[in-house]
Amino acid sequence: MLGLGVNSEGWFMAPVITVEHLQKSYGHMVAVEDLSFEVEEGEIFGILGPNGAGKTTTVECVQGLRRADNGRIRVLGLDPTTEVAELRQRIGAQLQDSALPGRLKVAESLELFAAFARNRVDSDQLLTRWKLQEQRDQAFDTLSGGQRQRLFLALAFVNSPELVFLDELTQGLDPQARRATWDLIREIRRDGTTVVLVTHFMDEAEQLCDRVAVVDDGRVIAIDTPQGLIDGLGLSSVVRFTTSEPDLGWLEKLDVVESLTRNGETIEVRGTGPVLALVASELVAHGIAPLDLRIDRPTVEDAFLVLTGRRMRG
Amino acid sequence: MITIRGFLAMTRAEFRLFRREPFSIVFVLVFPLMMMLLLSAVLGNDQADAQDVANGMLVWRGVTPASYYAAASVAVIIAALGLMTLPTNLAGYRERGILRRLRASSVSVWVLVSAQLTLAMVTFVAGALIMGLVASLAYDTLVPKDLIGVMVAFVFGTAAFGALGLLLASVVRTSRSAQGIGLLLFLTMWLISGTAPPRAMLPSGLRDLGGVLPLTPLVTAVQDPWFGLGWSTTSLAILTAYTFAAGIPALWLFGRD
Ligand SMILES: Nc1ncnc2c1ncn2[C@@H]1O[C@H](COP(=O)(O)OP(=O)(O)O)[C@@H](O)[C@H]1O
Ligand SMILES: [Mg+2]
Repeated sequence: MLGLGVNSEGWFMAPVITVEHLQKSYGHMVAVEDLSFEVEEGEIFGILGPNGAGKTTTVECVQGLRRADNGRIRVLGLDPTTEVAELRQRIGAQLQDSALPGRLKVAESLELFAAFARNRVDSDQLLTRWKLQEQRDQAFDTLSGGQRQRLFLALAFVNSPELVFLDELTQGLDPQARRATWDLIREIRRDGTTVVLVTHFMDEAEQLCDRVAVVDDGRVIAIDTPQGLIDGLGLSSVVRFTTSEPDLGWLEKLDVVESLTRNGETIEVRGTGPVLALVASELVAHGIAPLDLRIDRPTVEDAFLVLTGRRMRG
Repeated sequence: MITIRGFLAMTRAEFRLFRREPFSIVFVLVFPLMMMLLLSAVLGNDQADAQDVANGMLVWRGVTPASYYAAASVAVIIAALGLMTLPTNLAGYRERGILRRLRASSVSVWVLVSAQLTLAMVTFVAGALIMGLVASLAYDTLVPKDLIGVMVAFVFGTAAFGALGLLLASVVRTSRSAQGIGLLLFLTMWLISGTAPPRAMLPSGLRDLGGVLPLTPLVTAVQDPWFGLGWSTTSLAILTAYTFAAGIPALWLFGRD
C-alpha cells in the first residue's frame, strides 16, 4: 500500500501519522536509529518494545515535544516542528513522566488545561468518564497512582483531540484498573479518536491494538496486527493433555502436528493451524476423552522472542 | 483570546497554589524586613554627621540609617524574589515534568513564566507596603519624594532580576540546586551592595565588586528618587544591560526541551 486508505465515503485519505526514517540522539547516545511507520485514521496503533527501545523519544518527536535529528514526520497533515501550535490543539497527550503542581486540585487542573483548548470538553463530563468525581477537590499530591493516571487521561482529552498519544498508559495500575482502562480506550476509539498506544506490556498490545509496531534498539522490526505478527512467524501452539494410552503414533501422522513429546502421562503436541480441533476429534475417534485437554496459543511475547532472539526486559 | 484566557487561568492557579503554601515566601519577605529593623536598631537613627563622609561619599547618603535601609530593603525584596523564588519554582516545574505536561497541552512556558512574574510582583507590592509601613511607624522614615522615579526603578529592577532568575532556572537541573545557587548569589549581593553595611564602609575591593553586581544599581536607582536626589540614569542603564545580558540567553535556553 502507498499509505493511502479509503474511508467510509470512498475518498482516498492520507494516514493520520507518517514517520519516515526518524533519527534522534541524545549526545552520543542513539535513541532512535531509523524508524518509519504510518497510523491510519480510527485505529489503535501500538508501539511495543522493551524499556529503552526509543518509544517515548519517537512519540515525543511526533508530538513536537522534541526535535528529530533527521527524518520526515507528518501528523494530521502538519509538521510537528513548524506547526506545533496548531498540532497541539488537535492532539491529546498522556506523557510517560510528568506531574502537576502538588497542591493543584483535580477539578482545578482540568479547568486550567481547558483554558488553553480551542474545543474544550466540559470538565464534569471528563470527571465522570474517568471516574474522578470523588477526587475532584483532592490535590494532585494526595492522589493514588491509578487516580493520577486517570487524571492524565482526562487531561489528554480536554481539547477534544482527533488523535491521542498514550505513553505507558497502565503503568503502576493493578490488574483490575488496567482492564477498566482498556475498556475506556476502546470506548474512545468507538467515538472516532485515533489512538497511539506506547507500551512495553505485550498483553496490553495484544488486547487493545489493531496494529502493532514492534520496536527494538531504535528500529521497527515488524508491523502487523497482533495476530498477524504471530501467524506470520508460523509460531506453533501447544496442545496438552494426560492419558495412560501408550501408543499415540497416529496423532503424529496428522498434518497439523509438528511434534509430540511425552513426559509420563503428560502429552504435549506442537502444531499450527486448527491443531486443537483435529487432535481432539482424533482422540475421540480413538476412544480417548481427556478431561484436561487444553491449548496454549502463541502470544505476542513469543513473537517478540523470535523476532529479537531474546525476552523482553522489564 | 486563548492566550489571555490561558494567562488568567494560569495566574489564578498560581495564586491558589501560593495561598495553599504561603510559607514558601516567608524568607523573601521576612529576611529584608528583619534586616531593615535590625540594622536600623544597631546603627541608630541619627542624621549622618559631616564626619561620616568617607571617600567623598555620605555614609547614609544624607538621610537617617532607617530611611536608608527602608529604601534599600525594598530593593532587596526584588532581588530575593528574582534570585530565589522564581528560579526555585521554575526549576521545580521543569524537574518534576510539569513543564512538559503543560507544553504538551498547548500551554506555552511563557504563560507560566508570566503568571509566576505576576505573582512575584503582587508579593513584592505587598512586601514593599509592609516594609514602608513598619519603617515609618517604627522609625518615622522618609516617604518617597519622587514616587514615579521609585516605581520606574522597581520596573527596571524587576526586569533585571526576573531575567537573572529565569537564566538561573534555565541552567540548573533541579529545584534544590536553583535554591542553593540562588541563596548564595542573593547573600553575596546583599552583603556587598550597600544593603547590609553601607557601601562607604566597605573596603574598596569589595565595594568595586559590589558595584558591578546588579543589586547595587537597583539600590541606587530606588534610593535616589526616594531621597529626592533625582533619577540615577546610570543605574537604570546598568539594570537594562543586565536585563538583556541575562534575558536573551534565558529566553533561548528556557524554551528549549
Ligand atoms: N532526555 C534524555 N537524555 C539522554 N538520554 C535519554 C533521554 N531520554 C531518553 N534517553 C535514552 O534514550 C533511549 C531511549 O529512551 P526512550 O525513548 O525513553 O525509550 P522507551 O520509551 O522505549 O523506554 C534510552 O536508552 C534512554 O536512556
Ligand atoms: Mg518510554
